[in-house]
Amino acid sequence: MSRILVVEDDPHILRLISMWLQRQGHVVLEARNGLAARDLVRAEPVDILVSDINMPGMDGLALIESVMGEGCVRRGVVVLTNRWDHAEIRDRLAEWGVQVLPKPFSPSRLSELVESLAASRKAGSVAVRPISSERGPCS
Amino acid sequence: MSAEQADLAPAKPGLGRRRFGCDGLLPEAFGLGFVGVVFAGVAAAYLICDYAWRQETIAARQSETEALAQTWAAQLGSAGDGDGQVINALGQSLGGFPQMRSLRWTAPDGTTRFEWPPSLSPVAGMPARPAAASGATGPPRIAATAPVRSARGEAPGSLRVERDAPPAGQRAFVLVAWGGAAGLILLAFAAFYQRLRRHLRPVAAIERSLTSYAEGLEKELLTLTLSDSLGAVARGWNRLIEQLAEMQRQQQSGCVGDASGNVLARFENAVFRRVLDRLPFGVVCVPPDQRVSYANAAAAALLGRPVNEIVHRPVGESIHNPAVQQAIAGVQARAGAGLSVDQTTGEGDHEATLRFRVLPMPAPPAGGDAVVTVEDISQLRETQRARDNFLYHVTHELRTPLTNIHAYAETLTQPGFDDEQTRKECYNVLISETRRLSRLVEDILSISQLEVGTARLDVGEVDLARLVRQMVQDNLGTADEKKIDLTLSLPPKVPKLKGDKQRLSVLLNNLIGNAVKYTPENGKVHVGVETSGQRMLIAVRDTGIGIGPEDQPHVFEKFYRAADDAVQMLPGTGLGLALAREVARLHGGEILLESERGKGSTFTVELPISATDPVEARER
Repeated sequence: MSRILVVEDDPHILRLISMWLQRQGHVVLEARNGLAARDLVRAEPVDILVSDINMPGMDGLALIESVMGEGCVRRGVVVLTNRWDHAEIRDRLAEWGVQVLPKPFSPSRLSELVESLAASRKAGSVAVRPISSERGPCS
Repeated sequence: MSAEQADLAPAKPGLGRRRFGCDGLLPEAFGLGFVGVVFAGVAAAYLICDYAWRQETIAARQSETEALAQTWAAQLGSAGDGDGQVINALGQSLGGFPQMRSLRWTAPDGTTRFEWPPSLSPVAGMPARPAAASGATGPPRIAATAPVRSARGEAPGSLRVERDAPPAGQRAFVLVAWGGAAGLILLAFAAFYQRLRRHLRPVAAIERSLTSYAEGLEKELLTLTLSDSLGAVARGWNRLIEQLAEMQRQQQSGCVGDASGNVLARFENAVFRRVLDRLPFGVVCVPPDQRVSYANAAAAALLGRPVNEIVHRPVGESIHNPAVQQAIAGVQARAGAGLSVDQTTGEGDHEATLRFRVLPMPAPPAGGDAVVTVEDISQLRETQRARDNFLYHVTHELRTPLTNIHAYAETLTQPGFDDEQTRKECYNVLISETRRLSRLVEDILSISQLEVGTARLDVGEVDLARLVRQMVQDNLGTADEKKIDLTLSLPPKVPKLKGDKQRLSVLLNNLIGNAVKYTPENGKVHVGVETSGQRMLIAVRDTGIGIGPEDQPHVFEKFYRAADDAVQMLPGTGLGLALAREVARLHGGEILLESERGKGSTFTVELPISATDPVEARER
C-alpha cells in the first residue's frame, strides 16, 4: 500500500483515478490544482505523485519541479497530459525521469505504472532523483 | 556637343546615330547661290550702265572741247597775231572753266605762242613740250586741236585744248561700296539663316523622326542632343524619347513582352506594363549586370522606396537579403532553378513578412535575366497562426471528453468495477461527456460556418419574450445549485423579431450560462429585456468575478479564456462568447460588454426588431 497524491482539474478524471487506485489498495489523496497539491505533500510526503500538466494556478510542471526538489515524493511521478506534442514539455519530463501517459489514457496502464513504482519501493530502489540539491521541507 | 549643333542621337549608346542637316545642304546652297547671283547681276548691270554713261560723257566732252578749241582759235585768229588783250582775257576766263587742263597756241614753226596754265607761258620762241610728255602723267584727258587763222588768211599756228576726262576713280569707289554692302547683307542673311535653321532644326528632326517611325522605316525614335536654350520642345521630346528607349530596352531584355519592335508589340507592352503595375505583388527584373531593369508599383510599395530609386540601381540596394541575391546570381548563371525566401522584419504589431521568389526568365532570347516576385505574406502567416491555434485548441478541447469516455468505458469492462453504483456512475459520466463532446463539435462547426459565411439562418418569426423565458428556465437548475438569484424582467409587450430561433437560443443560453458559471454562490444574475427605438436590448447582468480591462478586448475571440485562476478553475472552451457574437452580428446586431473585476459583468445584446434582412444576413 502506497500513499498516492492525484492532481487533476477535471473532476471525472480525478474521481476515476482515485477509484482505480483505491481498488488496488492504495491511500489516495486528491487535489484540483498544483498549489493545493504542494500544500498536501509538504504537510505529509507521498510515495507516488500522479499529476496533470494543464491546471489553473500552479501547473503540473511547476508542481513536479517544486516537490521533487524538496524531496516530498519518495518513489515516483506519473504525468497524465494531452500536451505530449510539446517538445519542450516532453524534454523536461524526460530529463526529470518521470513516467508519462498521454491523454486519452488507459486506466489499466496507469495502474500498471503505479504498481511498478510501488514495487520499486519494496525492492529498495530509488525511483525519484532530486532535481536540485536544495533541501526542502520534506528532506 | 556645342549649342550650335542639333544632333539626333539614340538615348543609349550603341543604337546608331544620325546627324541632322546632311540631306538639307542642297536647298541651303541653292538659296545662298541665288542670293549671290542676284547681287552679281545688280553689280554687272551697274558696271554696264556706268560704262555707257562714261562713254557718252567722254564723247560729249570731246565735242564740247573741239567746239571750244575752234571758238577760241577763231577769236585768236581774228584778234591778230600778238594781240595781248585777247590772250589775257582768254587766260583769265580759263581759270573758271570746268575740267580745263591746258591750252597751247603753237606757231607753224613749232614755237609756243601762248600756253595756259600761266606757269607754262608766255615765252616767245620757247620750244613746245612734247604732247606725249604732258599726257603721260595724271588723269586721262580729252584733247582737241583747231587751226588759228588770221583775217588775212594766214596760218599763224594751231590751238590745242586739253580737258580732264570723266574720272575713273569714282567708279572704283562705287564698286567697292556696292561690294561691301552686298557682302554685309550676305553675312547678315547667313547669320539669320543659320540661327533660324538652328531653331527649326529640332522641329524638323522630330518631324522627320516621327514620320519615319510612323511609316515603319525606323524601329526607334531618336533623341535630340541640344542646348537648354532651345527650350521646352527639345526637353519634352527628349524626356519622351528617354521613356520610350527605356521601354524598348526592357523589351529587349525580355522583361516586358517581346522585342520585335512593331507597333502592336509596343501597344501590348504598354498594356502589360499597366497590368504589372496593378498586380498585388511586386515584380522586379534583374539582368546579369545586377542593375534592376524593371520594378512595378507593388514592388516599390513592398520594398519601401520609389520605383526610380530601384530601377537602374544595383539590386542589393533595394533587396538586402543575401539569400535572395545569391538566388538571383544562381538563376542568372543557370545554376539554380529558383528559390523562395521569406524575410521577416519588425516585431509585434509591426511585424511583416515578405516572400521573395526568384525565377529564371522562361524563354530565350532573354536568358540570363532573373525575375523576383515580392509578396507580403504577413496576413497569410497570421491566418496560418490563427488556424494552427484553432486546431490546437480544438484538439485540446476534444481530448478532455474523449479521455473521460475512453477511461470510463474501459472501467466498465473491468471485473473489479461491476457493482451497480460504479456502473451507474460510469454510465452517467459517459452520457454527460458524450453530450459535452457533441456540444463541442457542434459549437466548433457552428462558429466555423459562421466565420466563413457558409452558415444558413433558418429565419422565422421569433417570440423573444418566450425564448428568453425558456433560456432562463433552463439555467435555473444550475443557479439553484449555487444559490444564485436568477431573475428575469420583461416589458408588458415584447415585439416579435425575425431571426433564427435555434441560433438565438444558443446566444442567450451562452450568455446566461456564463453569467451563472462565473458568479459565485449566493450571487445574482438578472436578465432584462427592453426596446429602444427599432432595437431590442437584452441585458444579462451578474455579480460574478468580472473581467479585467486587459481581457475585455479578447473575450469574444475563439478559445480565449482569461488567465485568471477563477476562470481557469471552471470548465470552459472559450467558444461560447465567440459564437454568441457571431450569431448577434449575423442578425444585424452586436453584443456590448461592461465589466469590472470582482464586481460583475453586463453583456447587452442589441438586435434590430424589423431591420433584419435574412437574405443579407445569410450572405454576410
